[in-house]
Amino acid sequence: MKRRPSAFFWVLVVLLTLLVIVPLLWMVVTSIKTVGESQADPPTLIPQDPSGRAFGEVLTTGGQNPVLRWALNSFAAATLHAALVVVVASMAGYALARMEFRFKNFIFSFILLTLFIPGFVFLMPNYLLMDNLGWLDTLWALVVPGAAGAFGVFFMRQFFLAIPKELEEVALIDGANAWTIFTRIILPNAKPALATLTVLSFLANWNDFVWPLFVLFSPERLTLPAGLSLLQGAYTTDYPVIMAGATVAAVPVLILYVFVQRYVIEGVARSGIKG
Amino acid sequence: MRGYGRATPYLFLAPYLALFLLFVVGPAVFGLWMSLHDWDFQLPGKPFVGLQNYKDLFDPLSATAEPFWHGMRATGIFTVASVPFLVAVPLGLAVLLNRKFPGRTFFRAVYFAPYVLGVAVIGLMFRYILDTTFGILNAFLGVFGISEIGWTTEQPWAFVALVAVTVWWTAGFNAIIYLAGLQDIPAEQYEAAELDGASTWQQFRHVTLPGLRPVTVFIVVITLLASANMFGQALLITQGGPGDTTTTALMVITDTGFSQFRMGQAAAMSYLLAICLAIVALVVFRLMKERKS
Amino acid sequence: MLGGLGALGAAGVLAGCGSGSAGKPGAAPATGDGGAKGYDGPAVELDFWNGFTGGDGPFMRKIVDQFNSEHQNIKVKMTVMQWADYYTKLPTAVSSGRGPAVAIMHVDSLATNAARNVIEPLDDVAKALELKQEDFADVVWKAGEYNGKRYGIPLDVHPLGFFYNKTLMSQAGLDPAKPPATADEYMAALEALKGKGIQGHWATPFQFTGVLSVEALLWQFGGELFNTESTKATWAEEPGVKALSWFTDLVKKGYSPKNVAQDADAIALQNGKNAFNWNGIWNINTLKEKKGLEWGVAPLPNIGGKKAAWAGSHQFCLPKLKTPDQNKSTAARVFVNYVSQKSLEWAKGGQVPARKQVRESADFKALTDQAALATQIDDLRFPPPVPGIGDALAELNKAINEAVLLKTEPAKALSDAAARADKILEANRKKYGA
Repeated sequence: MKRRPSAFFWVLVVLLTLLVIVPLLWMVVTSIKTVGESQADPPTLIPQDPSGRAFGEVLTTGGQNPVLRWALNSFAAATLHAALVVVVASMAGYALARMEFRFKNFIFSFILLTLFIPGFVFLMPNYLLMDNLGWLDTLWALVVPGAAGAFGVFFMRQFFLAIPKELEEVALIDGANAWTIFTRIILPNAKPALATLTVLSFLANWNDFVWPLFVLFSPERLTLPAGLSLLQGAYTTDYPVIMAGATVAAVPVLILYVFVQRYVIEGVARSGIKG
Repeated sequence: MRGYGRATPYLFLAPYLALFLLFVVGPAVFGLWMSLHDWDFQLPGKPFVGLQNYKDLFDPLSATAEPFWHGMRATGIFTVASVPFLVAVPLGLAVLLNRKFPGRTFFRAVYFAPYVLGVAVIGLMFRYILDTTFGILNAFLGVFGISEIGWTTEQPWAFVALVAVTVWWTAGFNAIIYLAGLQDIPAEQYEAAELDGASTWQQFRHVTLPGLRPVTVFIVVITLLASANMFGQALLITQGGPGDTTTTALMVITDTGFSQFRMGQAAAMSYLLAICLAIVALVVFRLMKERKS
Repeated sequence: MLGGLGALGAAGVLAGCGSGSAGKPGAAPATGDGGAKGYDGPAVELDFWNGFTGGDGPFMRKIVDQFNSEHQNIKVKMTVMQWADYYTKLPTAVSSGRGPAVAIMHVDSLATNAARNVIEPLDDVAKALELKQEDFADVVWKAGEYNGKRYGIPLDVHPLGFFYNKTLMSQAGLDPAKPPATADEYMAALEALKGKGIQGHWATPFQFTGVLSVEALLWQFGGELFNTESTKATWAEEPGVKALSWFTDLVKKGYSPKNVAQDADAIALQNGKNAFNWNGIWNINTLKEKKGLEWGVAPLPNIGGKKAAWAGSHQFCLPKLKTPDQNKSTAARVFVNYVSQKSLEWAKGGQVPARKQVRESADFKALTDQAALATQIDDLRFPPPVPGIGDALAELNKAINEAVLLKTEPAKALSDAAARADKILEANRKKYGA
């Protein structure tokens, strides 16, 4: 339908790619420099005296900067969070889409309303709640409160509304109960939506910065964003160490991303249309 | 046909509703209650102060008013400066990626990649790249004879830097949403336009843009919310400086609540910020609706 | 933040420092409690938090390692974070029962944290260590008390000092052996440097080091930060305005570039761009690491007429344990006792020991740079021990920032900040029930 891409097009595409890649490369290059070289003016493009000191600093030093541990914490929190969201949101979304009961419209409208309350309103009170539940500095604080967000329920409800009713009716005739219908028929048909919600919840949790920064404090319990923030504070101008920390944080994500990028991108793409 | 008992719907709803009541409804109400107190959770005394925390925010001589409104100003400037770029640049990217060309999937993945790194990695990385003295960006600009720019220490450069970094970080995310929107525009519309002799630009104006309206509204709203929540970039890159010019409202709230332990004041601030945000959102909705009709 | 620059040399410092030569004073049998008796209970692990992010960090780590190797049943795990993060996290960690057993605090934070029940009194440790007021400079000792109880065991004093680049001084025809000591000499030196195209004193708008410098100047001009009851900020009075004007004039008269970034003043001194830098004593090790750098350090020049210098002091404190643990409490006291007696080792990291007898020992005097700054000991000043005083001082930081960035005139910046600070002080009195 369209002309073949012009040279200009390719220049643009490659320039944009460089724009993404060069800062990342610079991060990696800096991480093997010495402190002095990292502050050279003008900067050296190729490390003159490469050393692994910075990586040693972020990967060993007796539990002070366990970057890999932080990555693991982030991964665990985001995974559990996504799982919890998918379970509770699909159940609630199904009830709201396919069942009739008293106060249904009221409940749905009420949930929907909270979609428009910005998260920072809950910051102080939820923090105190975490304190009272004894959840401060634990994985629970990262996994559970966020799952109360309205987006998942809304998103799943919209999807379930679009599933043809006949599917359920056939099963009903076979005498299946609601739970069986939900798990055997509805959920398998909702795989794309479930995948999308998983990806979005995972990403949101993975990228969350403010909440973990304040509810976590033990070095070995931090998530990547919170840990890296402390790392920057603790090493101020030791840029090789800071860049090594950022590199160690970035590499596993990027590797994971290479394998699942299709699902991630499809998930994000779908959030706009259906949401 | 009804294949379930009376209690079933509630049972399905129960897990979510429990979370919802505990972590959304409860805190929203409790937050209001807090905001009427001088609340330090570690002190036994939490004196009731009525609306004082709110009044203080409008009293220029109070301890909280100036930081709060400076924070609002920083958040406001950032939002106004960033949203147009975060709406327009991704649109360009999406149009670029919507063409069929070899390696398209690869480039799409590359442009989205910064988003998955998260704000911390990005903040640390750009703090170094943007350093006035030994940052590579100034060294690169120096090649063209541009003298050192204080990306993190001078205005308006600090805001330029924060907006640029945010675009670098999240443009891919918005672009993917646009891209999906583009694919929903029926090819026939383009074919018809082409038959009418419309140029590429005219096709973009009269087919692409109208076709993307719903997606654009969605993007404007989520971007507005994200920009109003700006925190990590400013904390990690400019540390709120120079002065307090990039100390955003959210940074002021967390500082008041978690560093000064004035949680009542912080709660009052967050409610006021939420109200301001709601007004902005209503105005935006109204504007977009009018343009539609 | 404090000593952030020190990180530059952090890696090399360990190697450069002599191996632990001290004996085992902590292990010597003694009577009484408070940690002097030692600990013979079951193995415990103590978390020890501090903000030694700079060149001082490795020195503390070394003392900790040494302690661990000498105490089989106590394992101290040291965690370092930026002071700002640290002061945010410590109180909540303590209240949720996940706080450390031992922590370090600056004197000006002790009162706040004592009032907020974050730390507990440790008069028993002071008694066991046989610490007496006369062992310390008065200010250091009194600063560790709040409401008649002792909350901090002084570890060190870290005063502001006058660092200078000898090479640049020679270039400008100044005698590097005789750094300027008075206002006139100082201005003459800056003028001489300016004649050679050198901006002699880079003035930063940040707490480190701009605010510290202005506070020192304020005291030199005979001013005070607060009134005696600490109910009003008095920095907007004449001495404060003089101090801030003198400092901003450095920028206005071209002795400093505009908009100096955080730490850029110190880096410029190392790179031969800046001749004078008023910086913390913790800077000593960073400068020592710089090969080929000709530098010196002296007490602050007397600009205002009255000798005075800003100083901080690190103090040991014991965070409250949510569930009382006798073993941990005892072990923590043993640790505090141990490190307190290692203050000479710690001084090598760029500090002045808090104890008089160490400060006057030949061993400390051999650390010539530290000893040079220690001569200021009787002129050092701290903020008053009032809960929440840091909130009020934050307003001063803002005023100085705006003035040094030439956005607001000094007098206006200071009086606006003082008005806000007064409100904060009032609110704090209510909150902490003073």
